[in-house]
Amino acid sequence: MAELLRKFMKIIRQIGIVFAVCWVSQVVEKVLPVDFPASVIGMVLLLICLLTGFLKIEHIQEKADFLMENMAFFFVPAGVSIINYFDVLESAAVQIVLICVISTVVTFAVTAWTVKLTIRLMERRKTERREKGNE
Amino acid sequence: MSELYVSPYFGVALSVIAFGAGVRLNRKVKTPICNPLIIAIVLVAAVLLIFKIPYESYNVGGEIINMFLAPATACLAVAVYTKMQVLKEYWLPVLAGCAAGSLASVGSIYVLCRLFGLDESLTVSLLPKSVTTPIAVSISEPAGGVVPVTVVAVIVTGILGSIISPFLIKIFRVSDPVAAGLAIGACSHAVGTSKAVELGEVEGAMSGLAIGICGIITVLVSMVIL
Repeated sequence: MAELLRKFMKIIRQIGIVFAVCWVSQVVEKVLPVDFPASVIGMVLLLICLLTGFLKIEHIQEKADFLMENMAFFFVPAGVSIINYFDVLESAAVQIVLICVISTVVTFAVTAWTVKLTIRLMERRKTERREKGNE
Repeated sequence: MSELYVSPYFGVALSVIAFGAGVRLNRKVKTPICNPLIIAIVLVAAVLLIFKIPYESYNVGGEIINMFLAPATACLAVAVYTKMQVLKEYWLPVLAGCAAGSLASVGSIYVLCRLFGLDESLTVSLLPKSVTTPIAVSISEPAGGVVPVTVVAVIVTGILGSIISPFLIKIFRVSDPVAAGLAIGACSHAVGTSKAVELGEVEGAMSGLAIGICGIITVLVSMVIL
Protein backbone atom coordinates (compact mmCIF):
# COMPACT_ATOMS: atom_id res chain seq x y z
CA MET A 1 0.00 0.00 0.00
CA ALA A 2 2.77 2.41 0.99
CA GLU A 3 4.63 1.42 -2.18
CA LEU A 4 1.56 2.13 -4.29
CA LEU A 5 1.09 5.51 -2.64
CA ARG A 6 4.73 6.39 -3.26
CA LYS A 7 4.41 5.54 -6.97
CA PHE A 8 1.19 7.53 -7.19
CA MET A 9 2.77 10.58 -5.57
CA LYS A 10 5.72 10.31 -7.94
CA ILE A 11 3.44 10.43 -11.00
CA ILE A 12 1.43 13.31 -9.51
CA ARG A 13 4.66 15.23 -8.89
CA GLN A 14 5.86 14.60 -12.45
CA ILE A 15 2.56 15.78 -13.89
CA GLY A 16 2.85 18.87 -11.69
CA ILE A 17 6.36 19.62 -12.94
CA VAL A 18 5.42 19.24 -16.63
CA PHE A 19 2.24 21.31 -16.20
CA ALA A 20 4.21 24.00 -14.37
CA VAL A 21 6.67 24.18 -17.28
CA CYS A 22 3.73 24.52 -19.69
CA TRP A 23 2.19 27.27 -17.60
CA VAL A 24 5.44 29.23 -17.44
CA SER A 25 5.81 28.83 -21.22
CA GLN A 26 2.34 30.31 -21.72
CA VAL A 27 3.39 33.30 -19.66
CA VAL A 28 6.59 33.58 -21.71
CA GLU A 29 4.51 33.41 -24.91
CA LYS A 30 2.46 36.40 -23.75
CA VAL A 31 5.57 38.39 -22.83
CA LEU A 32 7.55 37.60 -26.00
CA PRO A 33 7.17 40.30 -28.68
CA VAL A 34 7.06 37.65 -31.47
CA ASP A 35 4.50 34.90 -32.11
CA PHE A 36 6.24 31.75 -30.91
CA PRO A 37 4.01 28.78 -29.97
CA ALA A 38 3.85 28.13 -26.22
CA SER A 39 4.20 24.35 -26.68
CA VAL A 40 7.58 24.81 -28.41
CA ILE A 41 8.67 27.34 -25.77
CA GLY A 42 7.79 24.64 -23.22
CA MET A 43 9.99 22.17 -25.05
CA VAL A 44 12.96 24.56 -25.14
CA LEU A 45 12.37 25.52 -21.50
CA LEU A 46 12.28 21.90 -20.38
CA LEU A 47 15.46 21.14 -22.34
CA ILE A 48 17.21 24.11 -20.68
CA CYS A 49 16.04 22.92 -17.24
CA LEU A 50 17.46 19.46 -17.97
CA LEU A 51 20.76 20.72 -19.42
CA THR A 52 21.40 23.12 -16.53
CA GLY A 53 20.58 20.41 -14.00
CA PHE A 54 17.66 22.44 -12.60
CA LEU A 55 15.54 19.36 -13.30
CA LYS A 56 16.86 15.81 -13.28
CA ILE A 57 15.69 13.41 -15.97
CA GLU A 58 14.34 11.13 -13.18
CA HIS A 59 11.97 13.93 -12.17
CA ILE A 60 9.94 13.62 -15.35
CA GLN A 61 11.01 10.39 -17.08
CA GLU A 62 7.82 8.33 -16.49
CA LYS A 63 5.44 11.15 -17.32
CA ALA A 64 7.39 12.06 -20.45
CA ASP A 65 7.53 8.44 -21.63
CA PHE A 66 3.79 8.09 -21.03
CA LEU A 67 2.94 11.26 -22.95
CA MET A 68 5.27 10.49 -25.85
CA GLU A 69 4.24 6.83 -26.19
CA ASN A 70 0.59 7.85 -26.32
CA MET A 71 1.13 11.12 -28.17
CA ALA A 72 -1.16 10.10 -31.03
CA PHE A 73 -4.14 9.65 -28.69
CA PHE A 74 -4.23 13.34 -27.81
CA PHE A 75 -4.95 14.17 -31.46
CA VAL A 76 -8.14 12.18 -31.71
CA PRO A 77 -10.48 15.17 -31.01
CA ALA A 78 -8.52 17.45 -33.34
CA GLY A 79 -8.69 14.84 -36.07
CA VAL A 80 -12.39 14.14 -35.53
CA SER A 81 -13.23 17.79 -36.19
CA ILE A 82 -12.50 16.89 -39.82
CA ILE A 83 -16.22 16.00 -40.05
CA ASN A 84 -16.89 19.74 -40.01
CA TYR A 85 -14.63 20.25 -43.03
CA PHE A 86 -15.59 17.50 -45.46
CA ASP A 87 -16.42 20.09 -48.14
CA VAL A 88 -12.94 21.65 -47.90
CA LEU A 89 -11.27 18.27 -48.28
CA GLU A 90 -13.55 17.09 -51.07
CA SER A 91 -12.61 20.01 -53.28
CA ALA A 92 -8.86 19.56 -52.87
CA ALA A 93 -8.25 15.93 -51.82
CA VAL A 94 -6.21 14.96 -54.90
CA GLN A 95 -4.03 18.07 -54.67
CA ILE A 96 -3.42 17.53 -50.94
CA VAL A 97 -2.33 13.91 -51.46
CA LEU A 98 -0.04 14.91 -54.35
CA ILE A 99 1.51 17.67 -52.23
CA CYS A 100 2.11 15.18 -49.40
CA VAL A 101 3.86 12.68 -51.69
CA ILE A 102 6.05 15.16 -53.60
CA SER A 103 7.12 17.24 -50.60
CA THR A 104 7.95 14.09 -48.60
CA VAL A 105 10.32 12.86 -51.33
CA VAL A 106 11.88 16.32 -51.75
CA THR A 107 12.38 16.78 -48.00
CA PHE A 108 13.95 13.33 -47.66
CA ALA A 109 16.37 13.88 -50.53
CA VAL A 110 17.43 17.38 -49.48
CA THR A 111 18.00 16.37 -45.85
CA ALA A 112 19.92 13.20 -46.71
CA TRP A 113 22.16 14.94 -49.25
CA THR A 114 22.83 17.91 -46.98
CA VAL A 115 23.89 15.57 -44.17
CA LYS A 116 26.07 13.50 -46.50
CA LEU A 117 27.72 16.62 -47.88
CA THR A 118 28.28 18.10 -44.41
CA ILE A 119 29.84 14.91 -43.08
CA ARG A 120 32.12 14.72 -46.12
CA LEU A 121 33.15 18.36 -45.67
CA MET A 122 33.77 17.77 -41.96
CA GLU A 123 36.05 14.86 -42.70
CA ARG A 124 37.93 16.81 -45.36
CA ARG A 125 38.51 19.80 -43.13
CA LYS A 126 38.73 18.22 -39.73
CA THR A 127 41.14 20.88 -38.52
CA GLU A 128 38.86 23.84 -39.24
CA ARG A 129 35.71 22.04 -38.16
CA ARG A 130 34.94 24.69 -35.56
CA GLU A 131 35.11 27.66 -37.90
CA LYS A 132 32.76 26.02 -40.40
CA GLY A 133 29.98 26.04 -37.80
CA ASN A 134 27.48 28.25 -39.55
CA GLU A 135 26.03 25.78 -42.04
CA MET B 1 -31.20 11.46 -25.72
CA SER B 2 -28.87 14.45 -25.58
CA GLU B 3 -28.37 14.15 -21.80
CA LEU B 4 -26.54 10.89 -22.58
CA TYR B 5 -23.67 12.61 -24.32
CA VAL B 6 -23.57 16.19 -23.03
CA SER B 7 -20.88 15.37 -20.49
CA PRO B 8 -17.12 15.57 -20.72
CA TYR B 9 -16.92 11.89 -19.80
CA PHE B 10 -18.67 10.92 -23.03
CA GLY B 11 -16.06 12.46 -25.32
CA VAL B 12 -13.12 11.19 -23.28
CA ALA B 13 -14.52 7.66 -22.99
CA LEU B 14 -15.41 7.45 -26.68
CA SER B 15 -11.92 8.65 -27.67
CA VAL B 16 -10.18 6.18 -25.35
CA ILE B 17 -12.27 3.24 -26.56
CA ALA B 18 -11.76 4.17 -30.23
CA PHE B 19 -8.01 4.63 -29.79
CA GLY B 20 -7.78 1.35 -27.86
CA ALA B 21 -9.50 -0.41 -30.75
CA GLY B 22 -7.06 1.29 -33.14
CA VAL B 23 -4.02 0.13 -31.17
CA ARG B 24 -5.36 -3.46 -31.08
CA LEU B 25 -6.07 -3.54 -34.78
CA ASN B 26 -2.65 -2.08 -35.52
CA ARG B 27 -0.97 -4.84 -33.48
CA LYS B 28 -2.86 -7.52 -35.39
CA VAL B 29 -2.37 -6.07 -38.87
CA LYS B 30 1.22 -4.91 -38.86
CA THR B 31 1.07 -2.25 -41.53
CA PRO B 32 1.60 1.50 -41.16
CA ILE B 33 -1.67 2.12 -43.05
CA CYS B 34 -3.51 0.75 -40.00
CA ASN B 35 -2.44 3.79 -37.98
CA PRO B 36 -4.17 3.79 -34.54
CA LEU B 37 -4.92 7.51 -34.80
CA ILE B 38 -6.56 7.19 -38.23
CA ILE B 39 -8.66 4.23 -37.02
CA ALA B 40 -9.70 6.15 -33.88
CA ILE B 41 -10.69 9.24 -35.89
CA VAL B 42 -12.76 7.15 -38.32
CA LEU B 43 -14.49 5.27 -35.47
CA VAL B 44 -15.35 8.39 -33.47
CA ALA B 45 -16.51 10.23 -36.59
CA ALA B 46 -18.67 7.24 -37.55
CA VAL B 47 -20.31 7.14 -34.09
CA LEU B 48 -21.02 10.88 -34.19
CA LEU B 49 -22.46 10.75 -37.72
CA ILE B 50 -24.52 7.57 -37.24
CA PHE B 51 -26.09 8.66 -33.93
CA LYS B 52 -26.34 12.28 -35.09
CA ILE B 53 -24.35 13.53 -32.09
CA PRO B 54 -23.16 17.11 -32.63
CA TYR B 55 -19.37 17.58 -32.71
CA GLU B 56 -19.69 20.27 -30.02
CA SER B 57 -21.09 17.74 -27.52
CA TYR B 58 -18.27 15.32 -28.21
CA ASN B 59 -15.74 18.13 -27.96
CA VAL B 60 -16.70 18.94 -24.34
CA GLY B 61 -14.58 15.89 -23.56
CA GLY B 62 -12.30 16.58 -26.50
CA GLU B 63 -11.19 19.87 -24.94
CA ILE B 64 -9.88 17.97 -21.91
CA ILE B 65 -7.80 15.70 -24.16
CA ASN B 66 -6.55 18.75 -26.10
CA MET B 67 -5.20 20.16 -22.84
CA PHE B 68 -2.51 17.47 -22.84
CA LEU B 69 -1.10 18.47 -26.23
CA ALA B 70 1.20 21.18 -24.86
CA PRO B 71 2.70 18.94 -22.13
CA ALA B 72 3.21 16.18 -24.73
CA THR B 73 5.10 18.60 -26.99
CA ALA B 74 7.20 19.87 -24.10
CA CYS B 75 8.20 16.30 -23.32
CA LEU B 76 9.86 16.01 -26.75
CA ALA B 77 12.67 17.80 -24.90
CA VAL B 78 13.31 14.57 -23.01
CA ALA B 79 13.85 12.77 -26.34
CA VAL B 80 16.36 15.42 -27.41
CA TYR B 81 18.05 15.39 -23.98
CA THR B 82 18.60 11.63 -23.93
CA LYS B 83 20.28 11.92 -27.37
CA MET B 84 22.59 14.74 -26.30
CA GLN B 85 25.65 12.49 -26.72
CA VAL B 86 24.97 11.85 -30.43
CA LEU B 87 24.01 15.47 -30.92
CA LYS B 88 27.36 16.67 -29.51
CA GLU B 89 29.21 14.44 -31.95
CA TYR B 90 27.15 15.29 -35.04
CA TRP B 91 25.76 18.74 -34.24
CA LEU B 92 26.86 20.27 -37.54
CA PRO B 93 25.33 17.69 -39.91
CA VAL B 94 22.23 17.52 -37.69
CA LEU B 95 21.66 21.28 -37.74
CA ALA B 96 22.54 21.64 -41.44
CA GLY B 97 20.36 18.69 -42.44
CA CYS B 98 17.38 19.76 -40.36
CA ALA B 99 17.60 23.37 -41.57
CA ALA B 100 17.86 22.32 -45.23
CA GLY B 101 15.12 19.73 -44.80
CA SER B 102 12.71 22.12 -43.10
CA LEU B 103 13.30 24.76 -45.75
CA ALA B 104 12.85 22.20 -48.53
CA SER B 105 9.61 20.97 -46.96
CA VAL B 106 8.02 24.39 -46.43
CA GLY B 107 9.34 25.65 -49.78
CA SER B 108 8.14 22.70 -51.84
CA ILE B 109 4.69 22.76 -50.19
CA TYR B 110 4.36 26.49 -50.83
CA VAL B 111 5.29 26.16 -54.51
CA LEU B 112 2.96 23.17 -55.01
CA CYS B 113 0.03 24.92 -53.30
CA ARG B 114 0.47 27.90 -55.61
CA LEU B 115 0.81 25.56 -58.59
CA PHE B 116 -2.44 23.74 -57.72
CA GLY B 117 -4.19 27.01 -56.95
CA LEU B 118 -5.06 26.15 -53.33
CA ASP B 119 -6.39 29.05 -51.26
CA GLU B 120 -4.55 30.84 -48.46
CA SER B 121 -6.08 28.92 -45.54
CA LEU B 122 -5.38 25.50 -47.09
CA THR B 123 -1.82 26.54 -47.94
CA VAL B 124 -1.21 27.61 -44.34
CA SER B 125 -2.77 24.36 -43.12
CA LEU B 126 -0.38 22.27 -45.22
CA LEU B 127 2.87 24.27 -44.82
CA PRO B 128 4.01 22.74 -41.49
CA LYS B 129 2.87 19.19 -42.30
CA SER B 130 6.32 17.56 -42.11
CA VAL B 131 6.78 18.35 -38.41
CA THR B 132 5.18 16.60 -35.48
CA THR B 133 1.44 17.28 -34.98
CA PRO B 134 1.48 19.57 -31.90
CA ILE B 135 4.04 21.89 -33.47
CA ALA B 136 2.33 21.79 -36.87
CA VAL B 137 -0.99 22.73 -35.29
CA SER B 138 0.54 25.55 -33.27
CA ILE B 139 1.94 26.98 -36.52
CA SER B 140 -1.16 26.58 -38.70
CA GLU B 141 -3.86 27.57 -36.18
CA PRO B 142 -2.84 31.17 -35.38
CA ALA B 143 -2.01 31.77 -39.07
CA GLY B 144 -5.60 31.00 -40.09
CA GLY B 145 -5.16 27.35 -41.12
CA VAL B 146 -7.80 24.63 -40.84
CA VAL B 147 -6.57 22.54 -37.88
CA PRO B 148 -8.09 19.16 -38.88
CA VAL B 149 -6.61 19.51 -42.38
CA THR B 150 -3.20 20.04 -40.75
CA VAL B 151 -3.70 17.04 -38.46
CA VAL B 152 -4.74 14.74 -41.32
CA ALA B 153 -1.93 15.99 -43.60
CA VAL B 154 0.64 15.40 -40.85
CA ILE B 155 -0.59 11.85 -40.25
CA VAL B 156 -0.78 11.03 -43.97
CA THR B 157 2.76 12.38 -44.43
CA GLY B 158 4.03 10.35 -41.49
CA ILE B 159 2.48 7.12 -42.73
CA LEU B 160 3.71 7.80 -46.26
CA GLY B 161 7.25 8.47 -45.00
CA SER B 162 7.37 5.29 -42.97
CA ILE B 163 6.24 3.25 -45.98
CA ILE B 164 8.46 4.76 -48.69
CA SER B 165 11.59 5.68 -46.68
CA PRO B 166 13.27 2.25 -47.17
CA PHE B 167 12.83 2.71 -50.94
CA LEU B 168 14.03 6.32 -50.80
CA ILE B 169 17.18 5.17 -48.99
CA LYS B 170 17.90 2.86 -51.95
CA ILE B 171 16.90 5.31 -54.70
CA PHE B 172 18.98 8.18 -53.31
CA ARG B 173 21.80 5.82 -52.24
CA VAL B 174 21.88 6.93 -48.60
CA SER B 175 24.35 4.48 -47.09
CA ASP B 176 25.16 6.63 -44.05
CA PRO B 177 22.85 5.78 -41.10
CA VAL B 178 23.11 9.35 -39.72
CA ALA B 179 21.87 10.80 -43.01
CA ALA B 180 19.13 8.18 -43.36
CA GLY B 181 17.82 8.73 -39.81
CA LEU B 182 17.77 12.52 -40.08
CA ALA B 183 16.07 12.37 -43.49
CA ILE B 184 13.33 10.08 -42.17
CA GLY B 185 12.73 12.28 -39.10
CA ALA B 186 12.75 15.47 -41.16
CA CYS B 187 10.14 14.30 -43.66
CA SER B 188 7.89 12.09 -41.54
CA HIS B 189 8.37 12.97 -37.82
CA ALA B 190 7.25 10.46 -35.14
CA VAL B 191 5.47 7.96 -37.40
CA GLY B 192 8.57 7.76 -39.59
CA THR B 193 10.78 7.49 -36.52
CA SER B 194 9.07 4.24 -35.55
CA LYS B 195 10.27 2.89 -38.92
CA ALA B 196 13.76 4.37 -38.43
CA VAL B 197 14.05 2.56 -35.09
CA GLU B 198 13.45 -0.71 -36.95
CA LEU B 199 16.27 0.11 -39.41
CA GLY B 200 18.85 0.60 -36.67
CA GLU B 201 19.79 2.33 -33.42
CA VAL B 202 21.62 5.25 -35.04
CA GLU B 203 18.79 5.76 -37.54
CA GLY B 204 16.23 5.78 -34.72
CA ALA B 205 18.16 8.20 -32.52
CA MET B 206 18.80 10.59 -35.40
CA SER B 207 15.21 10.45 -36.56
CA GLY B 208 13.97 11.23 -33.04
CA LEU B 209 16.38 14.13 -32.78
CA ALA B 210 15.19 15.51 -36.13
CA ILE B 211 11.58 15.71 -34.85
CA GLY B 212 12.38 18.31 -32.20
CA ILE B 213 15.00 20.25 -34.16
CA CYS B 214 13.01 20.40 -37.43
CA GLY B 215 10.02 21.46 -35.34
CA ILE B 216 11.85 24.47 -33.92
CA ILE B 217 13.40 25.40 -37.28
CA THR B 218 10.02 25.15 -39.03
CA VAL B 219 8.49 27.47 -36.40
CA LEU B 220 11.27 29.98 -37.10
CA VAL B 221 10.87 29.64 -40.88
CA SER B 222 7.10 30.13 -40.73
CA MET B 223 7.53 33.16 -38.46
CA VAL B 224 9.49 34.76 -41.27
CA ILE B 225 7.16 33.88 -44.15
CA LEU B 226 3.68 34.01 -42.56
